[in-house]
Amino acid sequence: MLGKLTWAAIPLDQPIPLAASGLIIVVVLGVLAWATIKGHWPYLWHEWITSVDHKRIGVMYCTLGLIMLVRGFIDAVMMRSQQALAFHAQGYLPPEHYDQIFSAHGTIMIFFVAMPVVIGLMNFAVPLQLGVRDVAFPTFNSVSLWLTASGILLVNVSLVIGEFAKTGWLAYPPLSELKFSPGVGVDYYLWSLQISGIGTLLTGINFVTTILKVRAPGMIYTRMPIFCWTALASNLLIVAAFPILTATFAMLLLDRYLGFHFFTTDAGGNAMMYINLIWAWGHPEVYILILPAFGIFSEVISTFSGKPLFGYRSMIIATMAICILSFLVWLHHFFTMGAGADVNGFFGIMTMIIAVPTGVKIFNWLFTMWGGRIRFATPMLWSLSFMVTFVIGGMTGVLLAVPPADFVLHNSLFLVAHFHNVIIGGVLFGVFAAYTYWFPKAFGFRLDEQWGKAAFWLWTIGFYVAFMPLYVLGLEGMTRRMQHYDVAAWHPWLLIAAGGAALILAGIGCQVAQLVVSIRNREALRDTTGDPWDGRTLEWATASPPPAFNFAVMPNVTGEEAYWGIKQKALAQRQLSELPNYKPIEMPRNSPTGFVTAFFAVATGFALIWHIWWMVMIGLVGAFATFVVFAWRDVAEYDLSAAEVAEADRQRREARVALVEGREPGIAPAITTKRPEHDPHRLRGLDPDGGHTGPAPKRIVTGYGFWIFLLSDFVMFSGFYASYAVLSHATAGGPGPQQLFHLPTVALETAFLLLSSFVCGMATIASNARNMLWTQVCYVITGLLGIGFLFLEGSEFIKMLAEGAGPQRSAFLSAFFTLVGCHGLHITVGLLWLGTMMAQFWAKGFRPDILRRGMCFGLFWHALDIIWVGIFTNVYLLGTSP
Amino acid sequence: MSDQDTTHEFGADAAPGDQDVGPHEVATGIRNYLIGLGLAVALTVGSFWVASGTSLVYTPGVPMALAAFAVAQMGVHLAFFLHITTGPDNTNNALALAFGALIIGIVIAGSLWIMYHLNANMMVPGNMMDMHMQP
Repeated sequence: MLGKLTWAAIPLDQPIPLAASGLIIVVVLGVLAWATIKGHWPYLWHEWITSVDHKRIGVMYCTLGLIMLVRGFIDAVMMRSQQALAFHAQGYLPPEHYDQIFSAHGTIMIFFVAMPVVIGLMNFAVPLQLGVRDVAFPTFNSVSLWLTASGILLVNVSLVIGEFAKTGWLAYPPLSELKFSPGVGVDYYLWSLQISGIGTLLTGINFVTTILKVRAPGMIYTRMPIFCWTALASNLLIVAAFPILTATFAMLLLDRYLGFHFFTTDAGGNAMMYINLIWAWGHPEVYILILPAFGIFSEVISTFSGKPLFGYRSMIIATMAICILSFLVWLHHFFTMGAGADVNGFFGIMTMIIAVPTGVKIFNWLFTMWGGRIRFATPMLWSLSFMVTFVIGGMTGVLLAVPPADFVLHNSLFLVAHFHNVIIGGVLFGVFAAYTYWFPKAFGFRLDEQWGKAAFWLWTIGFYVAFMPLYVLGLEGMTRRMQHYDVAAWHPWLLIAAGGAALILAGIGCQVAQLVVSIRNREALRDTTGDPWDGRTLEWATASPPPAFNFAVMPNVTGEEAYWGIKQKALAQRQLSELPNYKPIEMPRNSPTGFVTAFFAVATGFALIWHIWWMVMIGLVGAFATFVVFAWRDVAEYDLSAAEVAEADRQRREARVALVEGREPGIAPAITTKRPEHDPHRLRGLDPDGGHTGPAPKRIVTGYGFWIFLLSDFVMFSGFYASYAVLSHATAGGPGPQQLFHLPTVALETAFLLLSSFVCGMATIASNARNMLWTQVCYVITGLLGIGFLFLEGSEFIKMLAEGAGPQRSAFLSAFFTLVGCHGLHITVGLLWLGTMMAQFWAKGFRPDILRRGMCFGLFWHALDIIWVGIFTNVYLLGTSP
Repeated sequence: MSDQDTTHEFGADAAPGDQDVGPHEVATGIRNYLIGLGLAVALTVGSFWVASGTSLVYTPGVPMALAAFAVAQMGVHLAFFLHITTGPDNTNNALALAFGALIIGIVIAGSLWIMYHLNANMMVPGNMMDMHMQP
């Protein structure tokens, strides 16, 4: 009934996890009880949990990430203290517990701290900077958030029920295979990351579509703030890299759950393929995190130097160059695996090359500050500390990019020091800068500067004290992940590093104090104008906190630094722009879809981890039903009347009067009105809005988003296909393609799918011509041909299984069943979708939203045929050809 | 977002998958799909014919021929079924496709290159790998 779940799963015999889980349970219950007693639930439900407002979602993402930062930091303190004590001794953490701690620390810090906070900041700032009212798909944004929260919940449940992985943060096989890790730890790891990974992928699709298709009028690409550019690059990397992770984890899950042989030590499995694929995701992931941080530093340095960003266009080029190059360096994570000099040489050189665009950025920031009037507020301090720290981390990175040096330093604490150097000094300092910079915009009051500066100094000094010793230790030969050691020379350095961790702890304490003090003094710290830092981008044009619709009237952008231009004009004329002509605003309605989906995702994930199969079925059916209900809804938006909008904007304009009349301290007309003019549209006297008329129509936005999803789906298939190509000869003495594949069946399958794709096109034409009969007839034929295809494929699979040629037989068969089966699964999902869509056409007619869905289904169905072209030629025909 | 949501937006951009013909030019639309179907059938037949062991194709060249047929057929599907064009209204769609194709190429070619060298350096060339990996 409960699968593998018994009372033995509760760690009653281990005091440390027990106390930790007890504390977490008490805190969670305390918060829930407080919310219940105070009657906060209706507010939380209507204003936050079901909210699809990008600003609220951003705040929730950041809150989740910062809470998990504390959890991950506690793990770090435990590791530092263990290593400080474990000289000629066992310390206080037994090895199997220590292994869980370093695995959890890495997993949590990357997936559940850095990712949520960076995504949260993009959520909060990107639509505001683009001058629009929300992201392209607000409800999916909420689904993303709640799926991430589901992953976080599952990771924390592993503290209380069962155990976490002991395999390191990337769970390398064969150690992570069932044979060597029979417990549920690796399953917790895999399912929590798969669930939150879906959320991250949806975020990526959402933001690529938002930035490319939903921008204010006149906001052409070369007028977008740099943070939007870096967010675009980061989200392109998400849609291109995360599917590889999904495919890799799916293969490890198949190994563990169904006895497949992708990465096992027997039957032809190849663990090196896992390491290859996971780093094909893993290296772009590093840039997913750091690129938005680069964007934040660009905004902060420009704002606090009182100058436009130096080298705006070179910054764009550098960002996009990193976006592509980051996919060409992944082997440097496993130089020592034995690919040889040619391969190592190529990837070593590519790694050194990627330092060039990063260097360009450093120089751009330096030249931005040069000649500026720099204000040393907390965000600027973080940025300065970043520039010094990140250069050191980058240098050690280039050192590690030299393969012979890497052979000496691989897996040593030098490497650990390097990546903490770039992640803390880059991502985390960027996050803290953004937290201070955008906090007044989000909540309407600034954070206390004194406590912020104290936190900054403690963090910066603490970082150097904690991690510089690790460079020394690495050079002295200490490897990572050691539970105890006997080398006397290491001990003093580890004591110093533990002292650094204590300084960082004090820094975190200051940040908590800063938040408490700032909330208490919020009236004194109130940001009345909406522009507390003398900002340059559009988020500072609206009130703090912004209204739900962000801008009463969508700004009309006529140049770089959209808000700076508006503000300088107003300051020069000492008056606000003319009262605009307010129009009603259409806003997306709140939706519990995200929360309900997350509920079922947690149930499914937990059931899968503990092999509770009936609960898996309930969870999956529930999630599908949720989506059907969501798709069926008739009213997706509500209207704000022009009068309401005008009233909300009147308050903002009143607050602005002080600013434009020069009564706000520190804000004055720029002394030099002459500034470099890059904008070719203005230089050549072209159309001032650059030909960009604002957000695209919904049909284009939806179609483009779905197109991006399909591309990420293709990338996932390429992961499966790469594994098939590598493993296709690993038949382990069993049958090969020549004995198994039956080409007449394949020909018939191909014909069915091709015709199905064609008829689906006919259905699209019929629906565009509003002909219900032909639409339904064509969709029925499409579906029947799809069922025919599935039937043929199913019988082929059953025949192979009956002959003893199942996926457990060899790595070749595992890869074959996974690749072809994944395509079949897509067809099955497509048929379910087709059924619900036909019902919608029938019940609701040719409504625009249903027609958009029809367009997406057509794209999906045609794309599946394209994937089938790859499969039948590369798998079946190539396998059986002479 | 704009309120008008017509099936076909002429002008700046086109949704991927939308044909460049009006909703009432049904015959033109069907004709495009029919051309695509014809080409796809021809290329599929070509693939099967090449793989059937015909003596007209130099045997070591079969994989290349299959790859050429596959790429051509994917192109036909993209052009005639998904209506991806090189027109200015399709720039974003085509760029996204190019980015995806680049990543897919890097993942597949890079993995094969790396894994080939790993296997070669471990002295287990392709067909001997199975024996090596036996328990």
